[in-house]
Amino acid sequence: MTYKDLSTTPAGSEGPILRCEGLTKAFGGVNAVNGATFDVPRNKITALIGPNGAGKTTVVNILSGAMKSDSGTVHLGSTDVTNMDRAKIARLGLMRTFQLSRELGGLSVLENLLVAPKVQAGESIFNIFFRPRLVKREERQNIERATEILRTYGLYDLRDNWARELSGGQKKLLEISRGVMASPSVFLLDEPMAGVNPALIERIGGYILDMKAQGVTVLMIEHNLNVVERICDNVIVLAEGKTLATGKLSELRQNKEVVTAYLGEVINASTGH
Amino acid sequence: MSFYVYTLFFFFFVYFILAMGLNIQFGETGILNFAYIGFVAIGSYVTGATSLPKANTGIAAGQHFILGLNLPFPFNLLAGGIVSSLLAVIVAFIALRRLRTDYLAMVLISLSLVLYDVCNNFVPLFNGPDGLYNIPEPMSGVFHLDSNQFVGFFAAVTGIIALIMYLFMNRIMSSPLGRTFRAIRDDPGVASTLGKNIFKYQITSMVIGAFFAGIGGGLIIQFGGSFNPSAWLPGETFVVFAVIIVGGVGNNVGLLVGALLVETLLIHLPAFLPDIPGRPGLIEYFSAMVIGIVLMAMLWFRPQGMLPERVRKFPAPAGELLNRDGHSVVAPTPVEAVATTNSAAQVADAHEGNDAW
Repeated sequence: MTYKDLSTTPAGSEGPILRCEGLTKAFGGVNAVNGATFDVPRNKITALIGPNGAGKTTVVNILSGAMKSDSGTVHLGSTDVTNMDRAKIARLGLMRTFQLSRELGGLSVLENLLVAPKVQAGESIFNIFFRPRLVKREERQNIERATEILRTYGLYDLRDNWARELSGGQKKLLEISRGVMASPSVFLLDEPMAGVNPALIERIGGYILDMKAQGVTVLMIEHNLNVVERICDNVIVLAEGKTLATGKLSELRQNKEVVTAYLGEVINASTGH
Repeated sequence: MSFYVYTLFFFFFVYFILAMGLNIQFGETGILNFAYIGFVAIGSYVTGATSLPKANTGIAAGQHFILGLNLPFPFNLLAGGIVSSLLAVIVAFIALRRLRTDYLAMVLISLSLVLYDVCNNFVPLFNGPDGLYNIPEPMSGVFHLDSNQFVGFFAAVTGIIALIMYLFMNRIMSSPLGRTFRAIRDDPGVASTLGKNIFKYQITSMVIGAFFAGIGGGLIIQFGGSFNPSAWLPGETFVVFAVIIVGGVGNNVGLLVGALLVETLLIHLPAFLPDIPGRPGLIEYFSAMVIGIVLMAMLWFRPQGMLPERVRKFPAPAGELLNRDGHSVVAPTPVEAVATTNSAAQVADAHEGNDAW
């Protein structure tokens, strides 16, 4: 399966694919993001971890254009995408999923994928009525590709169901597969393993590794450190809206600040102390 | 009797056209357009004004209005649709750029009231409260039709126009454009993170819907020969909403059912019944009450409408082997068995990483 066509993405081929510098965002008197600075290396899987309220989702919202930052810059490759409209950022190749799955419930499972390609000939009235063969050909290609992705993600038999009828785990898979259909160069996953059972965690982990093998850069918010350890090349730790540390998880386990701010909390929680 | 039946047919077809226009805006794109009747009115006025000769001349004696182009059918009708679409672009720029849902609905209903007041009070535009009248009956000269024959003839013409517009709308709704509209309706935030320019598609939807409204309005003035502000009080918009809600949001065939039940059976059928002695207008009031009750009952018991929106199925790619149930024989096991979290304990385990990896 082809996830993306790198030649069509504007992200260039050198240096980090995503770079944030001094991002800040305040809600009233609360500084949700307070100077976060980090790079996301190209064609790697990077985890964004940190305690609850560290600003992880806010950072992902800013990176994807869903929220405007108060200050700081975001670069996607060589393009400055700071506070750019989210549709434009998506068209530059950055896709995202949401903490709580947001399926397009009034569309079928297959249609959720078919709507994903960013530019489609059939979205123009002129083409619908005056270039029907082009529209039909492109639609056929999209159906073939969407079918292949649904088969890979185990959703094929549900393709004609309303997306709103899926279970929580299936919605997670649908959201990820929809993003894959859009051929991203950077894919932001907001807690893809949250609320799903161990078997599905295994599968989602496999899909993320598969994306990396196809050249997609992944930045994922994740609390499951076992998953982070197994599939992530790099980890960014956020605490109180700031970048606390970056590196491999094994290195970060030795970092006292990180242990105090987050890892200790997780270890304690998992051991019940 | 035939006049009565043809009139019912005419309004059935017209309201089907109007419902299709509002459906693409509301049912497909999620734009709660409470100003819809304003677009119908503009289509009506423009069709009327372009059908008539210059103001205060010939059959337009005593009337004040702009345009007066004396255009033949169907160019006058198209003019109504096009001007209504242009108005939709202006309205979209005012209302759609920053507003969503309830706030958008409030602004749109306000714009409808402003438009109503302008047309009602600014006489040089469309003859103020008297409205336009003496509109020529389209093609009746060509086919030498008397007034009774014209009613049947024009009902048939309207039926043909409704069929053409249905095919046009179906083509759009089954295209990737229609799918993008529905994605925006379901979750504009998700649609924009997929790279869709929400405003562009909303304008497109508004323009298509307004064209339908304009054509519907144009047909009304050509059928009745006159149109004035009392015909398009803002509340009329809710009749079209009732057609959609009763018929089925997002389903064009359902709109036929809605137009038949609401417009034909509940509005125009009672309008032809004789008044109850000593109670003039009572039937009309009852008719309005029944529409309200039907609307509430539908929203309460069957919000999806008589014929709900259907899931759109696509043919399997070439070479696909399907079993009797339509499922692929080569597809992996569906994820129902594994995709649902079975218990809170499992969630906790998964999160703590005790089992996975």
